[in-house]
Amino acid sequence: MKKSLLLLALVVYSFASNAQTVEEIISTYHQTIGGTKWDGIAGMQMNANLDQGGMKIPIEVVMLSDGRMYTEITLMGNTMIMQAYDGSTVWTTNFMSMEAEKAPADETENAKRAAKEFPNALINYKNLGYTATLLGTETIDGTACHKVKLDKKTMMAEGKEVPNVEYYYIDKENNIPILTETEIQSGEMKGKTSQTKYSDYQEVDGVIVAFSQTSGIKDGMTQTIQFDKISLNPKIDESKFLFPKK
Amino acid sequence: MNKFIICLFVSGWAVCSWAQTPTLNAGDYFGDLKARHIGPALMSGRISDVELHPKNSNILLVGAAGGGVWKSQDGGVRFTSIFDQYCQSIGCISIDPSDPDNTYWVGTGETWTRNSVSAGDGIYKTTDGGKNWTKMGLEKSDRIASIQINPKNPNEIYVAVLGALWGPSNERGVYKSIDGGKTWNNILFVNNTTGCSELVMDPSQPNVLYAAFWEFRRTAYSFNSGGINSALYKSIDGGATWKKLENGLPQGEKGRIAVSLAPSNPSIVYAVIEAKKKEEKGLYRSEDGGNTWSFLNGDFALTVRPFYFSRISIHPKDPNIIAKAGLFGSISRDGGKTFKNLGSMHSDIHDIAFDFNQPDKLLVATDGGLYRSMDGGSSMEMVEDLPVSQFYHVSLDNRNPYYVYGGLQDNNSWFGPSASPGGVEARDWELVGQGDGFRVYPHPTHPNIVYSEMQGAEAIWRFDVEKQQLKTVKPYPLEGDPKLRFNWNASLTTSKHNPDRLYVGSQFVHVSNDRGDSWTKISPDLTTNDKVKQNQESSGGLSADNSGAENHCTIFSIAESPLTDQVIWVGTDDGNVQVTKDGGKTWENLTKNITGLPANTWCYQIEASVHGKEIAYAVFDGHTKNDYTAYVYKTVDFGKTWQSIATSEITSFARNIQEDYSNKNLLYLGAENGLYITLNGGKSWSAFTNNFPKVAVHYLELHPTKHSLVAATHGRGIIILDDVRPLRNINEGLLTKNLSFFETDRFTLPEKSNFGGTALENQFVGENPSSNAKISYLLPKRHTFGKMAGEITTLDGTLVSKIEVGKNKGINTIEWSFNANAPKVAKGKGFSVAPPPYVKAGNYLVKITKGNETFEKQIEVIYDSSSSFTLSERAQQQQTTTEVFNMIQDLAYLVYQIDQWDAKATEYKTKHTKTEKYVDGLRMELTAMRNTLVVTTGDNYVGTAEDELREKLNEIFANVSSYFGAPSSSELANITALSNELNKAKKQFGVLQETRIKALKSLLEKDTAIKMPEILSFEEFLKQ
Repeated sequence: MKKSLLLLALVVYSFASNAQTVEEIISTYHQTIGGTKWDGIAGMQMNANLDQGGMKIPIEVVMLSDGRMYTEITLMGNTMIMQAYDGSTVWTTNFMSMEAEKAPADETENAKRAAKEFPNALINYKNLGYTATLLGTETIDGTACHKVKLDKKTMMAEGKEVPNVEYYYIDKENNIPILTETEIQSGEMKGKTSQTKYSDYQEVDGVIVAFSQTSGIKDGMTQTIQFDKISLNPKIDESKFLFPKK
Repeated sequence: MNKFIICLFVSGWAVCSWAQTPTLNAGDYFGDLKARHIGPALMSGRISDVELHPKNSNILLVGAAGGGVWKSQDGGVRFTSIFDQYCQSIGCISIDPSDPDNTYWVGTGETWTRNSVSAGDGIYKTTDGGKNWTKMGLEKSDRIASIQINPKNPNEIYVAVLGALWGPSNERGVYKSIDGGKTWNNILFVNNTTGCSELVMDPSQPNVLYAAFWEFRRTAYSFNSGGINSALYKSIDGGATWKKLENGLPQGEKGRIAVSLAPSNPSIVYAVIEAKKKEEKGLYRSEDGGNTWSFLNGDFALTVRPFYFSRISIHPKDPNIIAKAGLFGSISRDGGKTFKNLGSMHSDIHDIAFDFNQPDKLLVATDGGLYRSMDGGSSMEMVEDLPVSQFYHVSLDNRNPYYVYGGLQDNNSWFGPSASPGGVEARDWELVGQGDGFRVYPHPTHPNIVYSEMQGAEAIWRFDVEKQQLKTVKPYPLEGDPKLRFNWNASLTTSKHNPDRLYVGSQFVHVSNDRGDSWTKISPDLTTNDKVKQNQESSGGLSADNSGAENHCTIFSIAESPLTDQVIWVGTDDGNVQVTKDGGKTWENLTKNITGLPANTWCYQIEASVHGKEIAYAVFDGHTKNDYTAYVYKTVDFGKTWQSIATSEITSFARNIQEDYSNKNLLYLGAENGLYITLNGGKSWSAFTNNFPKVAVHYLELHPTKHSLVAATHGRGIIILDDVRPLRNINEGLLTKNLSFFETDRFTLPEKSNFGGTALENQFVGENPSSNAKISYLLPKRHTFGKMAGEITTLDGTLVSKIEVGKNKGINTIEWSFNANAPKVAKGKGFSVAPPPYVKAGNYLVKITKGNETFEKQIEVIYDSSSSFTLSERAQQQQTTTEVFNMIQDLAYLVYQIDQWDAKATEYKTKHTKTEKYVDGLRMELTAMRNTLVVTTGDNYVGTAEDELREKLNEIFANVSSYFGAPSSSELANITALSNELNKAKKQFGVLQETRIKALKSLLEKDTAIKMPEILSFEEFLKQ
């Protein structure tokens, strides 16, 4: 009997999903990953051990709801900030000099514009003034997905305002993104498509987070980060975000 | 709540799995099986159209004849393919002048209607610069010549539909949309054999249009350009009414007409007319918007092959500078009175585009790619990043890596490696033929000998690549023989049973057993020998065009059974299938046994099976009779009966089938719109689209030992699926399990190393295959929730390496680079890398943890049997590698202890300033030690400090561990010296521990406010 009810529910859901609007798809996704439980979360810390051909590289990513973030790695005993945004500057560590350097102005400007996207731009798209459009269904690696276009206004690339568009491929069965895509807007790879694939979604204090993220150029080489630990509202050293004074 | 949600999902999966009956639809399980492209781009391929952004000279769009749409954002240095998922045959591209950053239109179906041209399937639009496309109709248009958009109203669009090439069609003429392409009206139609071959709009008066109409038809054996219905029309009311322009133009029958107007003075209009009378062929100019015309010029450059070259481009600011596509391309600077050729480049020019903002910059579309000129066309530079080569065929050899051999449309014959240091570059390809290239074969046992041919078997060559000796070896007619009829793409093949044997097909089968020096006819005329189809001298219509492209009633496919040379199958271009079972003594015509196949449908290929000499596949291509149906048949009784194995899932005609050598039910089909695969012997087919565009596949070859499927595409070069073995092993039973490993061969440890490639940043480089161990498994559903990770261990469970695992539905492939974990390196300033060593040969376990389940697969790593290294040498290398590995970790632990005590001494000193001198002594000694052990100053570039022990150990480790032979005596001596240095440091630290560190410990015991340092054990330190 229970199995019949569940089957019935799935059939109804399946029927409903056929007629879903983009708003409903995003809302269902939001509910799937925890809904309003995200509202009180001020930040997230993600730790992984990258394995680069047998060499372990501990990595720590911290993202705060005010847009600040840093990525810290430990390479041969040296712990360093690979990239950070302190609210006013995006900066990196130059691997030649091992000194902190400011990122190009475009990157800082883009970080400022994306500062309120935490935990991601899609579930907050209305508040951010972004536009979401359902483009249809597309099969990604054998999985049927809603293809949602998120128009995030503009971003800066090589000193110019250019469209800032992100595509979400949301697994129709599980209501959760398995792929996002953006077009690279500057540099040698300009015009190529950048992809991130998501899996290993797990619960962390009531919300659902992807513990595995695989990034790369479409149809090219990829790199997977498998997070060992993700924690919410982490206690952090505020100074790590700051561009060091010389 | 969310746990509940996850449970619901998990339950849902379980129920769904339980409720569904597993099926073997291949497309559901391709997973991460992905094709790679090796181009090449050195000869590129035919470009049909070039369009430039009107305001931003850096943005340009290129339409390839068979290779899709490419976009450059840097003025034509590098390109990105933006149309992979759609028809790759491009007629024209248009950039919306009112939204040039985002809105482009593509009309599919090339209009330069040579014999090998591909067809289109409608018109497409993007509104985001090419990231997403929407088909906007005109599905039956076959080929689209022009799209004109009202610059003042982007919803008003006019389209020139040339229509079907190979038969009558009613979707022809000028179409208009007033709603942005949602609906179309045919506003000018002439008849079902006459289409609109050019359409131009006066940008200053968008209601003014000029439309060229062309009566034309191609068959497999003839071409006709011209008729009384060809004409030039003008409308001044947005296409509501049209007037035929005749005043000053040739009367009567006409052929293809090129027309264009001057952007700087739209009342000046140029037209190139293919007229019946030779003296009337050529360039005409009107200065009053087409009301009256004057004949200007009948030069060869203007009148040659109008069906192939009919575009005029006019300078954006000077109406007297005009460029005409042609054999070489030509330009006039005096209003068309005289012309000179453009600078040297590949011949056969199809389009010329002036940059709107820098008119001396020209872009030129040729049979051999895209060229740029910065000086008004005097000197030309080829774009080297467009891999749109049009292969007709591919064959493979048995080298390692294997080489691919093939010929291209108007771009010679070549062979090149399937892998090369740094990627497959232009320089890797070797030229082995001239003209149009087709079938190229290596000698089966002497790869230095290559056979190639040019169009119509005008030449068949035997080329000794090493000695650079070239001999023509084509069969000639003997006394009493009729003229030999060779197809444009003449049948040529080698034998599985006699390495010196060659087969060539005219209307007869010719055999040579001495590499082409002498030939024997082993068949009668196997074609229909229909004389009506052998009148190529009169082909061309108003302009004779007897190039050999229409040769007909020829043998097109010869397939010797791989099991016996007595069985030979033959397919002809006029629809015959014949077989001999006695090596050519007698032949049987099987055509009548094939049901459901229209008469005289071109037999493109016969595949003689490896699974039985009585088994064969035949693929028929009806497109030259305007029939785009896929015809694929199988016989298991020497052709007495044939079963159709094509389904409606194949949405275009097919040319070539390749059976799998291992799994009888696994078949690969090359179709006009891409690659199809079946897992069930043809009951259902799936398009393979993982990095495989919708490009015409002219030939497929499966490597017998590398298991690579290699596709000769007619527009995107060579595309390879490196390892099809996972496809062989999918079966319904696997779909009921949560994860199933596929069987693997033993993995050979790669020993080769190199310095990479030399390609420049503007050059296409083909992707190399992976040299890693590849372990594949099947997931019946995508892994989305919960942890899934992988590792390699020894058989007793000791971790060797973590590995990335795929989570796609279907086939997933783990790649392991044969590495173990790298040694832990001492902390110091900057980076000093000790690379991970390779594992030894032996057995290992692949472990995948998925949720609560663990899946294991044992694999075996072996040494390269062709290696020159002995086991004894390998043992020395492994022993030395281990020794240095341990030294590096010992040093790391020593430096760790030094750092810990140094930090503690500093902390103590900060609190107890009176003991400064005493603790400073310890600190100084620790610092001095550290300075000899690791680099502590400088940077990672030219400001780097002198190497210390860490850097020296890492360097010798990298050198010893990456070479598979014994270490040299020099290396061993160096290691001994470094070992002594390390032991000395350890001893020195031991003394310190007994003296100054012991004293510091005593001090710390008295000050409980300062914690005693927690020094980890060596094992704990390594795990840290």
